[in-house]
Amino acid sequence: MKKLLDGTHRLLTRLMAATVAILIVPVTLQVVSRYTALIPAWIWTEELSRFLFIWMIMLGAMIGVREGSHFVVDVLPDLPPRPNAFLQIVSNLFVLVFALVFIGWGIEFVRFGWDQSSELAELPMVFIFVAWPVAGLTWVLFLGEAFVASFRVLLGKSER
Amino acid sequence: MMSAALSPGAAAIVLFGTFLALFVLRVPVAFALGLACLPSLVLEPRLSPMMLFNETFKAYNSFILLAVPFYLLTANLMNVGGVTDRLVRLSRSMVGHFPGALAQINVLLSVFFAGISGSSTADAASQSKIFIDAQVKEGYGLSFSIAITAVSAVLAVIIPPSILMIVWGGVISTSIGAMYLAGFLPGLLIAAAQMATVHVYAKIYHYPVYPRATMKEFFYSAWISIPALLTAFIIVGGVLLGWFTPTESACVAVLYTVALSVFVYREMNLKHLYDSFVETGRLSSVALFCVGTASAFGWLLAYYQIPRALLENVSTWGMGITAAGFFIAFVFLVVGCFLDAIPAIIIFGTILQPLAHSVGMNPIHFAIIGIVSLAFGLVTPPYGLCLMISCAVAKVPIRFALKDTLIMLVPMLLMLAAIIVWPDIPLILPRLIAPELLK
Repeated sequence: MKKLLDGTHRLLTRLMAATVAILIVPVTLQVVSRYTALIPAWIWTEELSRFLFIWMIMLGAMIGVREGSHFVVDVLPDLPPRPNAFLQIVSNLFVLVFALVFIGWGIEFVRFGWDQSSELAELPMVFIFVAWPVAGLTWVLFLGEAFVASFRVLLGKSER
Repeated sequence: MMSAALSPGAAAIVLFGTFLALFVLRVPVAFALGLACLPSLVLEPRLSPMMLFNETFKAYNSFILLAVPFYLLTANLMNVGGVTDRLVRLSRSMVGHFPGALAQINVLLSVFFAGISGSSTADAASQSKIFIDAQVKEGYGLSFSIAITAVSAVLAVIIPPSILMIVWGGVISTSIGAMYLAGFLPGLLIAAAQMATVHVYAKIYHYPVYPRATMKEFFYSAWISIPALLTAFIIVGGVLLGWFTPTESACVAVLYTVALSVFVYREMNLKHLYDSFVETGRLSSVALFCVGTASAFGWLLAYYQIPRALLENVSTWGMGITAAGFFIAFVFLVVGCFLDAIPAIIIFGTILQPLAHSVGMNPIHFAIIGIVSLAFGLVTPPYGLCLMISCAVAKVPIRFALKDTLIMLVPMLLMLAAIIVWPDIPLILPRLIAPELLK
């Protein structure tokens, strides 16, 4: 199971790095086409870059749940390990609700975009909308791992 | 509102109440904002949770926001590609002989960095690694070192380019070019206030001084830094001259920094490049994901006309521009303690904008007051991202550096007050250079 999670995590990270790298291309093309005659002024560059951008955000948001990098504010004082694990479970339950919303209504969202295509490049919108339910699914996966870890602490099975 | 199931008051309680409850329970802010939308989306017969998807999609589908990852990428590439090292050397040759040398270098480097990068968190992350350890080794207090690194990092979003100005321009439709020009003087004033603070500290605690750099050393370090400083010109000048949109200028800056690191300074390899991509994706996507849910939250506030209900009382107070300026700064300073600056702009910037408009405040003046106040929020607890990053690098809890941070904030707040009282401080540069943007 751990292997599967690590693998998913690695894959998502690579994909995210790739979106960041590829993002540079259409924006550069846009500038080059404006100032030189080397390439025509394609109108899809702007749209393509926006779509890559959406995927970058969603991929980063997916791995953010596992890395704990989504911003959290600590207004409560530091707690001892067990109450802390309990609080972790509670807050992750709320994240789980959000993940399920992303899966449930996200599928409707994808269905809604089923036969839409984008305005400029005529890409099927499904490729974009599917990012939402996929995010929900990976969150459920990563949250499951976090729940197991928290319960271990709660039951005193682990030092941390 | 015609047939909303909830009155503005009730809706405000549900939205803000749910958000605050989740926030205290340590649900990540981005998720808390999204979850807080759900009760009304389910309750209202005219709405459905599909709204959440439409609004997040609309928020992310933005060419302007695309500048955010590019700015971060430029900053990350500067660090691995040797640009930062050269700017440290230049700063040292300029202020190394002042009392509290290393801390002065810390502030001045933030000014240079701010002129190239628009991200305070990137500044805090890289400078904490450079300075905190080094300062402590030279006998500076640890808490002082953390605090000065964190407070000087906020300059990055005040001095152009700035991620916050990009977001502000996208959400409240204000000219980004005019904001860039307006940010210069306030940024330099705040930097001067910080250097004065360091001077006082250095006199009290007898912090060390470096020997004065020779003219030759100064000219040499300036010479090798010129290509790096040109980045600032590309980003800010390119936008002002109308060569590029802000997003394009950020992309050009990325290409330029890569070229500089690979061909001129020759300090970059593929591993560095890949790591910079990952780091950029990580940081920018969690910040931007929050933009989506904050937009949905803001959309619901507008749906229930909550901003209008909130401001009905305020507008009867009969405030002038200055009073309204202090009120706006106060709101953003308080909000900045608890929220990241980007969602704060999306939610509260749009709430306050009608107020600023009704008292006749210049939109650029309003933007600069808001952005400077929110920038200070980057070092105020409980949620001060720059302070959190610096403390994390030093491996101490935030409490540890709190006192020094708050002391350093006092002169900075005085500068903010000056910006509020004298609108000319931000407005003079845009008025001189690009009056057509001020309309």
